[in-house]
Amino acid sequence: MTGFSSLNTAVTGLYAAQRAMDVTGQNIVNANTPGYSRQRVTLSEIGSGSSSSLFTGGGTSNAGVSVAGVARIRDVFVEAARVAAGGRQAALTSQTSTLSGVQQLFAEPGDTGLQSTMDAFYSAWHDLANHPTDVAAGSVVIQRGIAVTDQLHSLSNGIAGQWSIAHDALADTLSQANQAAKDLADVNAKVSAGLVAGRPVNELMDQRDTLARTLGTLLGGTSSVGADGQASISIGGVAMVSGSIAQQFTLSGATSPGGAAASPPILMWGTTSVPVASGTAAGYLAVLGTDLPALTARVDGVATSLRDLVNGVHQNGFQADGTPGGLFFDGTGAASLVVVPTAPAQLAVTQAPGMIDGANAMAIGDLSDDQVAATTLGYDGPSAQWRDLTTLVGVRVQSLKNASTVQDAVLSAADAAVQSDSGVNIDEEMTNLLQYQRAYQASARLITTIDEVFDTLVNRTGTVGR
Amino acid sequence: MRVTQGSINASTLRGLQAALGRVQDLQGQLSSGKRIQVPSDDPSATASAMTYRSQQAADVQYLRNVDQVTARLGVTDNTLTSLSDRLREVRQLMVQAQSGAISNEARTALSAQASAVRDEVVGLFNATYLDRPVFGGTIPGQQAVDPTTGSYLGNDAPIVSRISRDATIRVDVKGTDVGADTTPALLDRIVTDLASPAGIPSADFTDLDAGMSKVLQNLGDVGARAARVDATKTNVDSQRLDLTSRISENEDVDLPATIMNLQAQQVGYQSALGASAKILQTSLLDFLK
Repeated sequence: MTGFSSLNTAVTGLYAAQRAMDVTGQNIVNANTPGYSRQRVTLSEIGSGSSSSLFTGGGTSNAGVSVAGVARIRDVFVEAARVAAGGRQAALTSQTSTLSGVQQLFAEPGDTGLQSTMDAFYSAWHDLANHPTDVAAGSVVIQRGIAVTDQLHSLSNGIAGQWSIAHDALADTLSQANQAAKDLADVNAKVSAGLVAGRPVNELMDQRDTLARTLGTLLGGTSSVGADGQASISIGGVAMVSGSIAQQFTLSGATSPGGAAASPPILMWGTTSVPVASGTAAGYLAVLGTDLPALTARVDGVATSLRDLVNGVHQNGFQADGTPGGLFFDGTGAASLVVVPTAPAQLAVTQAPGMIDGANAMAIGDLSDDQVAATTLGYDGPSAQWRDLTTLVGVRVQSLKNASTVQDAVLSAADAAVQSDSGVNIDEEMTNLLQYQRAYQASARLITTIDEVFDTLVNRTGTVGR
Repeated sequence: MRVTQGSINASTLRGLQAALGRVQDLQGQLSSGKRIQVPSDDPSATASAMTYRSQQAADVQYLRNVDQVTARLGVTDNTLTSLSDRLREVRQLMVQAQSGAISNEARTALSAQASAVRDEVVGLFNATYLDRPVFGGTIPGQQAVDPTTGSYLGNDAPIVSRISRDATIRVDVKGTDVGADTTPALLDRIVTDLASPAGIPSADFTDLDAGMSKVLQNLGDVGARAARVDATKTNVDSQRLDLTSRISENEDVDLPATIMNLQAQQVGYQSALGASAKILQTSLLDFLK
């Protein structure tokens, strides 16, 4: 033990305080950096060996302090909860936004929706019944019929449009996810190499976790971090990233709304299908494969029942010249429904051939009543089906929105937990800064003091009494 | 729990977002006046709204039908009144012709008058409403009675109109019920008999009286039908008004409640802003030298 070792001890203190202030500075400047995890220096004291021997002498020395490392503070379980919550929220968001768009197309309740258009159509038939020979009333019937088909066309096209938008968004989501997987594989390689070489990898680990979180949001991937610091991502049991290898997924299945019911869009890894249960992609896959095809079928059902209902009565009647009534509506499904008669003379207004009684026009007008329509068809008429469908969509969007609100709260709680664990608190950092500054000052003071001691020893020794 | 600037920021922002979202919802309701703008705002109220609107549209149409029926019955009523007047005129001519001291010239003149009335009567039987014969049933042509031969061209098929969800009404009068098939021939016979010095056979009087009573009887019937249509109109109209108020109750915003609600939300939003401004500004930095 020499006096000089105390100088060394003081120097380790200076060094440790400096390093600690460096880390504090890094925390402060990154307080607002997304994905940043706060860091702490880990200090450890330096002592001599624990056992004393003949040659080393019995005295233990206090050799100072050393910076054992810089710890990155992030709890993997808290982070995993945040990733899962984010994935579920993203799925609800993408599904809700598409179905909300469809709901807007319905324009119900109001004076411009399909219900009002159909009511106006039936009214026109009653007007024609009041004036069976009036050309103008006949033209109004035809025009109102065309208005109904126009509305059904735009509804059908609108749903198809929403399908295409969702399909494009899904493709975009997938390419983002594929890119994120590649990036994550690169970062994984760097983390692993850095750990082996003993280089600091905290910032790389932040990048790694951010990418894993992105994949969780996009595809609902779950990540697990191995001992080598590499994150593995699995999507529904299919490994997307493992170590420095990233798999690229492709989008398969129908590319237009027509085939969606038979072959719904699906994510593929080579020839293996990838079950996606969460994340933005899951929401889009649900609307593309289930919700929108079902809606299209229901709208087609409305169109078909309208066609069969009106045609059935129309074909029972006779035109003013005695010709039996033909089809009024033709076509299959909402997209191709058309009005057949082009002139008022082709309307079957009468029920007795060769006579003009307007009774058939009245019978078609009477179909506006739900019970009459149901009795005529043997099942629910177009108005009842349409109301049912509108309510169904309303309930679906409402429940998705409610689920979204709940999931929002879950997500913010998860976010708060991550922030609480890994976020930077400026007050705390300022306090640490003060603490390390004082430690630095104290170590410097130690050097001064030892210097003064040596000064006394060197310059004052032997001068006593001089 | 450890609190950080980041978590305070996030929770503040989330709170403000939620508050502003509620303000926006109420604002949207107030500016549109509607409580339901899309089905998801209230799915079950949407279903009722659509049913009410559909029923209202039907009621409006029934009212339009009622107006048509009323107009048509009015035309029929006028025609039958004129018809009965004309027939009474003929009867007077016949009574005049029966007085003993009547010259042959006077007989010819009476016969000519009767002949003119006969043409008028045929014209009345051919009365139309919107190009359709009133007494012709469902025949395609516009004339119920051939003007020259006086033969009946119409049929007895009814023409009905729907005046409410559950009720239809016959809007025409059977030509045979008012003598469109017999009266022209009878008048022809009377015209001939008036000109003949042999006098008017009593059968002419009996037949004419029978024809007149047919007309009067149907005049009463038309009046009764008009009264029934009027009653139905009152019912349908009050039902329509009831639906209007139900639609409004179902869809429109409760203004006082919504405005109060908006006020409360705005106060909440402003206090949230004020509190955030105070909390977010300060940190330990402000107190260190």
